[in-house]
Amino acid sequence: MSGPIFSRRRFLGISLTAGGVLLAGGGGLLWLRGRAPRVLGLRCLTAHEYRTMSQLALALFPEGGAFPGGAAEVDLARLFDGFLADEPEWNRSDLKKGLVLLEYGPLLFERRFATFSHLSPEERLRHFERWTEGSLVRRQVATALRKFLSLVFYDRPEVWPHIGYDGPLVEGERP
Amino acid sequence: MTGAIVDLSRRPAPADLTAEICIVGSGSAGATAAWDLAAAGRDVVVLEEGGDTTGARLTQRDGRMYDQLYMDRAGRATSDLSVSVLQGRVLGGGGVINACDVVPIHDGVLRHWQRRWGLSDWSPEALRPFRDRALADLSASRPDASDETLFNKNNRILRRGTEALGWRGEVMLHNRVGCAGVGTCLIGCPLDAKRNPRFVAIPAAVAAGARFFTRARAVRIEGADGETKTVRVRRLDADGYREQGELAVRARVVILAANAVASAQLLLRSGIGNAHVGRHLSLQPQLPVVAWLGEEVRFFRGIPQSWAVTQFEEQDHPEHGWWGFRVEAIGATPGIVASILPALGAAGKAQMRRYPQVAAALCLLPDEPHGSVEVERSGRLRIHYALADEQRRRYREAAKAAARIYLAAGAREVMISVVPAVTVRSEADLARIDAIPFLPATVPFISAHQQGGVRMAPSERDGATDPEGRVYGTRDVLVFDSGGYPTSASSHTMAPIMTGAHYLSARLLARLPR
Repeated sequence: MSGPIFSRRRFLGISLTAGGVLLAGGGGLLWLRGRAPRVLGLRCLTAHEYRTMSQLALALFPEGGAFPGGAAEVDLARLFDGFLADEPEWNRSDLKKGLVLLEYGPLLFERRFATFSHLSPEERLRHFERWTEGSLVRRQVATALRKFLSLVFYDRPEVWPHIGYDGPLVEGERP
Repeated sequence: MTGAIVDLSRRPAPADLTAEICIVGSGSAGATAAWDLAAAGRDVVVLEEGGDTTGARLTQRDGRMYDQLYMDRAGRATSDLSVSVLQGRVLGGGGVINACDVVPIHDGVLRHWQRRWGLSDWSPEALRPFRDRALADLSASRPDASDETLFNKNNRILRRGTEALGWRGEVMLHNRVGCAGVGTCLIGCPLDAKRNPRFVAIPAAVAAGARFFTRARAVRIEGADGETKTVRVRRLDADGYREQGELAVRARVVILAANAVASAQLLLRSGIGNAHVGRHLSLQPQLPVVAWLGEEVRFFRGIPQSWAVTQFEEQDHPEHGWWGFRVEAIGATPGIVASILPALGAAGKAQMRRYPQVAAALCLLPDEPHGSVEVERSGRLRIHYALADEQRRRYREAAKAAARIYLAAGAREVMISVVPAVTVRSEADLARIDAIPFLPATVPFISAHQQGGVRMAPSERDGATDPEGRVYGTRDVLVFDSGGYPTSASSHTMAPIMTGAHYLSARLLARLPR
């Protein structure tokens, strides 16, 4: 959601580290990130940011398990893109940086030669779970992204029968 | 003057406005003051950043409602993201999106303010008629605890556990009339069954001639020490996302009633006031505790919050006034619950599968007013707040008390929703709670009752406003909301804020020349 993710000083520190790593690795690290499929109609996310958010959504809400359906059924990353587009510039910027950090998380925080989107779905979930207990900046990014995705995923009538929720009782305007 | 509610997002934009009194914020403080002042024949304009959302437009859907009814689209938080700072952004303010809890300011708190903070005029005797008036405005009553549709199973479970332990508790006063137990109080009542400012003070104020402007963001006050002040206002679009033009309101008196954080923010943006502005902020973060009893609870229907465990709270603490902690039942819609429960992935889905079986409570703790509000050069708001060690200790005590209540009520599992989650299945597990560190951004803390930030004090040395709400260094720029409170007024601030607004309005009318 729209709260500030981290302090300027903290982000600067992370950015410098990330920048150093990227400079040191040069094009090789950009190669590691790989190409992201082109996505039409995005309002503010880049294709790479969209891919990171999509992969996170798929990890948090996998198909099957306790009830059918998951993030594959709904384009949560696009909803996030729409949300961000209407946010103040500083929050948009923070959350986009958070996505970049998450994408390079395995490399920056776990010294793995991989990016988030290239982990297996199970590895992605475990990686994100470690973020919820990791350093402050990782916890902050995890808190912000997870809050948005949870709120939107469970606000859908398709999910409600599976979680025993009977939805709005009073006929209202369509959202 | 003819009263009205005008949506500024509609074109064409009105010309600049003139009024005797300009009030920023239309919630418990602003609407109440508008009513009293307009009824006394004063020319009043009220500015509200949110829209006017009532009845069927309150769709009971998490996404759209949190987006539209809360400040920063419900994303406002402390700068380290540790505490979600909930604040209404809608005509009628927090009363539109609260759980309708009516907890009047206690005499002990007022005596503490007199004794410790020098607010000698804020005596229980002086405030009593205004407190009675606020309770009447709210049609305050206790819900019928024998009505299982309203006093729902979640509240009954908490009550059962409380009574099994022999602890003190109560059915809380509320301000609903005609409630049908829809259960979505935190995202508005589609039946308009809340007797909140939107349906009491605002219609009365409009009838008395007050003019309310929605989608009107006050961004700056100019000429604060002069006879006429100018409030710079940005018109917002229909969703409240973007600014789309500016106008000015010129007034002799400016009353800030935008909430403790937002009133301090506006003063800071305007460069008004002394070094106390933005300091001494209290957030009263609330800690969620959930339980499963192996039975269906459906805590999302009925009144979300009716039963309060009062065993551990003090209203007359010599050092703090209100102190200790309370535990209160709570219910919520799926999106918010999912964002609070800690499990992720398939485990998270399994946890939400048990959503109808969830019983839940909040631990409410008063805090020392040690937070602060900052406005960066870019205009970005920062709320700084860190838990003190003493608070962590009380959160552990409160969580243990909540867990013991649920165990006494028959819970198979109680979870403190921190990361990593702490689960209690028997009294022997309670010691696990002692190990919770409450690190930043590991706990879904919720702040719904912000206070302080523009502290009242008899001397400029100790506060930002005088005991009548006048901001030091200004000429009739006043603060009428909970920003002025030197310490926590109550576990729930709607009734105290209305009490204070009635009182401060009377004081203002007594000295304001015609």
